Amino acid sequence: MLKFIIKRLLTLVPLLLAVSVVVFLLLRLGPNDPAMSYLRLSNIPPTDAALAEARATLGLDRPVAVQYFAWLGRALRLDFGISYVTKAPVTDHLLHYLPNTLYLAGVSILMTIGLSLPLGIMAARYQGRWPDHLSRALAYIGVSTPSFWLAFLMIMLFSVKLGWLPTRGLGGLSHVIMPAFSVALMSLCINMRLIRGNMLEQTHTRQVLYARIRGVKEGYITRGHVLKNSLIPVVTALGMHIGEILGGAVVAEVIFAWPGVGRYMVSAIFNRDFPVMQCFILMMTTIFVLCNLFTDILYAAIDPRMRLANEGSGND
Amino acid sequence: MRLLYAFMAAWCLTFGLAGSLFAQNIDREDTIIFSCLSNVGPLNPHLYSPNQMFAQSMVYEPLVKLKPDGSIGPALAEKWAISDDGLHYTFYLRRDVRFSDGEPFNAEAVAKNFEAVMGNAERHKWLGVTGKIAGFEAVGPYEFKLTLNSPYYPCLEDLSLPRPFRMLSPAAFPDDGDTSKGIKTPAGTGPWRLAKIALGEYDLFERNELYWGEKAKVSKVLVSVIPDPVSRALAFETGEIDLIYGLGQINFDTFDRLRQTPKVSAEISGPMGTMAAAINTAKGPAAELKVRKALNHLTDKAALIKGVTLGTQPRAETLFAPEVPYCDLNLRPYEYDSAKAAALLDEAGWKLAPGQKIREKNGQPLVMDFCFVGNNAAHKAIAEVVQAQAGRVGLALNLVGEEEDSFYRRQKDGDFHIILNPTWGPPFEPHALVSSMLLPAHADFMAQAGLTMKADIDARINEVLATTDKAVRQKLYRDILTMLHEQAVYLPLFHDALFMVYRPERLQNARFGAERSYIPFEEFSVK
Amino acid sequence: MTDTGLTGNDSLILPPLAGPGRRATARKAALALSALVLAGLIGMAIFAPLAAPYDPMEINLEERLAPISSRHWLGTDHLGRDVLSRLIWGARASMGSVVVIAGLIMATGFITGAFSGYIGGRTDSVIMRVCEAFMTFPTFILALFLIGVLGTGLTNVILAIVLTHWAWYARIIRGMVMNLKNRDFILAARVAGGGPVKIFLRHIAPPVLAQLVILASLDLGHMMLHVSGLSFLGLGIQPPTPEWGCMINDARQQIWTNPELAIIPGVMIFLTVLAFNIPGDILRDKLDPTLVERE
Repeated sequence: MLKFIIKRLLTLVPLLLAVSVVVFLLLRLGPNDPAMSYLRLSNIPPTDAALAEARATLGLDRPVAVQYFAWLGRALRLDFGISYVTKAPVTDHLLHYLPNTLYLAGVSILMTIGLSLPLGIMAARYQGRWPDHLSRALAYIGVSTPSFWLAFLMIMLFSVKLGWLPTRGLGGLSHVIMPAFSVALMSLCINMRLIRGNMLEQTHTRQVLYARIRGVKEGYITRGHVLKNSLIPVVTALGMHIGEILGGAVVAEVIFAWPGVGRYMVSAIFNRDFPVMQCFILMMTTIFVLCNLFTDILYAAIDPRMRLANEGSGND
Repeated sequence: MRLLYAFMAAWCLTFGLAGSLFAQNIDREDTIIFSCLSNVGPLNPHLYSPNQMFAQSMVYEPLVKLKPDGSIGPALAEKWAISDDGLHYTFYLRRDVRFSDGEPFNAEAVAKNFEAVMGNAERHKWLGVTGKIAGFEAVGPYEFKLTLNSPYYPCLEDLSLPRPFRMLSPAAFPDDGDTSKGIKTPAGTGPWRLAKIALGEYDLFERNELYWGEKAKVSKVLVSVIPDPVSRALAFETGEIDLIYGLGQINFDTFDRLRQTPKVSAEISGPMGTMAAAINTAKGPAAELKVRKALNHLTDKAALIKGVTLGTQPRAETLFAPEVPYCDLNLRPYEYDSAKAAALLDEAGWKLAPGQKIREKNGQPLVMDFCFVGNNAAHKAIAEVVQAQAGRVGLALNLVGEEEDSFYRRQKDGDFHIILNPTWGPPFEPHALVSSMLLPAHADFMAQAGLTMKADIDARINEVLATTDKAVRQKLYRDILTMLHEQAVYLPLFHDALFMVYRPERLQNARFGAERSYIPFEEFSVK
Repeated sequence: MTDTGLTGNDSLILPPLAGPGRRATARKAALALSALVLAGLIGMAIFAPLAAPYDPMEINLEERLAPISSRHWLGTDHLGRDVLSRLIWGARASMGSVVVIAGLIMATGFITGAFSGYIGGRTDSVIMRVCEAFMTFPTFILALFLIGVLGTGLTNVILAIVLTHWAWYARIIRGMVMNLKNRDFILAARVAGGGPVKIFLRHIAPPVLAQLVILASLDLGHMMLHVSGLSFLGLGIQPPTPEWGCMINDARQQIWTNPELAIIPGVMIFLTVLAFNIPGDILRDKLDPTLVERE
């Protein structure tokens, strides 16, 4: 198991390196001039002299390869330069906002799992009857609804009309529930149907058939066998959900004025604040990669075939 | 299986705890809650963005300040004397003033501040007085002398600006005295001091108990970070903020609606600047005087003001409002007269062939680029309206709404026919704006570049800034502004008026400040 | 690509589409409805100039925020523009961009994947590494970054979404091509004397293309949400061009007085995505219940 983890961690390095090259190249090959953005954001009139000076300050007049390695060297020390807008170190800002985004994403994941499990199980249990149909309909609706529209509707209903929830800002349950839900909805619906499908599939396998013949109680079968095996694909699916959730969090942060990295990135895009954009994508990709790694490990840990191979015993 | 349960339990626990950690606990007692589109910044009095001007004005004070009637009044300097030749300014400083960190305020401190600002003079070149300062010294504990290299009448106006000539405590300077790299703490003499910065969330100001003047009535001002106008309006509705103040804080629609809401007071200030477009006298059809005049005649400002601003902003006929010093000139406005506009265009050779929508001359269609910042909703609406109105007379306007960078470049290169170029309002008017007309890479210069009399205008601008004779000054301003008006270099649309929205039950004694970026929080009180 | 959950398990248990029974009828009804909606939307997009009663960009400040009337069936927005016309023209921007995106993704995915799979060897490794690098990024985040680099606007949105999605398709196509390449019937064709290109075009391309079209069609709803999401943030199609996501953003300021201005375009997006998703799901069910999902 440990070997597996270490091996996977090692593949991380070349991957992240490749990612950094892609990011760096994309940035340099874009049509916009960082020097111009820098001057504009500093309220300095863009005379030719000023542009030349800005280019020198930002190191843009050196060859691309040199720029990359200089940049990489700083990046490894977690120095991503200073924001053109705030003139403060980018890493500081992003690390300040990151916990807020992780908090939002975390609550979204919680909602996804927490709501999809009971709903999925219920749909499987009452398969073919109205709870199942209802959940299917809800799933379709949930997957087709744009999250920003849903957010708007929720604000209209719960904040403006009913006054139950605040419209914006960081905070505890009342503040986080709407943004988290708008982010979680799609993943929740997908997961719900996935669990239902897997459970139905499991219920009709030979192992379960034999267990039933043996006289094992239905409830025990459900908990012990069906559910457990259904959840394994859910873990892998989680890896994919995280990507969507991280992306969805950006939109939710903008609408709900949630002070996270996503909102910061959107304003950086409008401002053309290149150091921020760079740091953002690297940070989010690293998190995404780590999450995928984690789910892979989790999957390896709970998949009985893998465990059996490693541990040599047969019971759960 | 157990692993999964354990995992889920851990997850729940973490986020339950996180939830309580993140929960809001802002104390609203005796606090005014305002909002801004970003954090106020480190509040370095000698630098610009990302420092917010209104916040710099809360914490730092200048030697002299602008009074509501437009004249200069005392601030940190009680009295001052100007020599007859206009070159020597002597400031008699207020005694008994201390910075919020306890340091005494005196001429030494002033000198130190001036040294830091002048040490970075290149950065402050846009401000006329920077190029005129020949020397300064602390002549006694409370006497500060400033010497200019040539007479410059707006010296005091320039010193009164929110930045850069405001006073920072000597103890807050970096060891090498160079504030362009940063400061140690934001310690000023103003009625407020910056108590806390919560990045992305809010900035907290507390009453400066060491303030020399009348202390603020409220003990705290909390400035929430709310980047967009709709969220801001929502926050006001639900009582999450107490005050909306300024330009661009909320949309016109929202203001109109709030005006009609009971228990809400929604006020509009006097003119504080002008929303005008600059027309490029050096490029394409805009180089023709008749075309520029036609543009002025075809714009139905009443309709635009009603449609875009919902009637909240006053109409503008000239680049500067008559209330601005030296600008009460009685210039003849360009009346809304589309027939006259059409006639002018015909005279200029731009004819409308039967069945055609766009005028032509020598096979060229009459098309001009109207440039503005694309994601500014008000500017976009204005551009769209002018485009529609111009279209009716056969003048095609191509809307170029871009991001700030490209817009910035356009100004620099003069790559525009018409560009939306609002003025800066008091205390910059008229001298600072007129002074910037001398600088290439500014929109005004580029717009005027095609005028045959540009050199003449520039000469007069230089003269008006130097002359010590008020009558001469008035005449020169008249000359300059009349020339610009008669050459139709600008298309003035309306004057910027600030909005102030609050609930009188909660906030009392609210009033507008004399400058665009000064909010007199210290006079407000909270129930 | 989203999995709306109608996994193939159902077809193991329930009667197929062509048979009798309530489920089959429900499915047929859903399919028919989706087809109808899609046809309607495509029609809207193509015939917009004819269908829309007004010019969608025509500003009329006298009539701003007008309520529903016989002149303006859905009222007007804050600049007096007819909402119905903007909605109809918006179909062009939304549907059009999705179609273009899907087309470009299919093209790049197919060319890269087929090339990589057919040639094999070092080229294949290199191309696959590039694909992996692109697949490492979360899609929306990468799209945001690309917009930041390239700038806003419709073309850049299309480019950004294509660049974030192509790698997955390339991978799948490559897998399919490699799989087919080594089959017996290909070997037979080679023996019979066919040149590599001809063999590819005649034997490999058709089934692969068929699968590709199916895969892409399953993803359309998802792409549509990304496009309107980016436009909503102000990073996509720029105003005044009518686009549904954009219209929702514009309408946020009217949330108190005219919330319908934001609700209606949202309904359109919702219906479109739903109409893409339903047939996609049913299709996936029928053909390959164990199709690997990607998000």
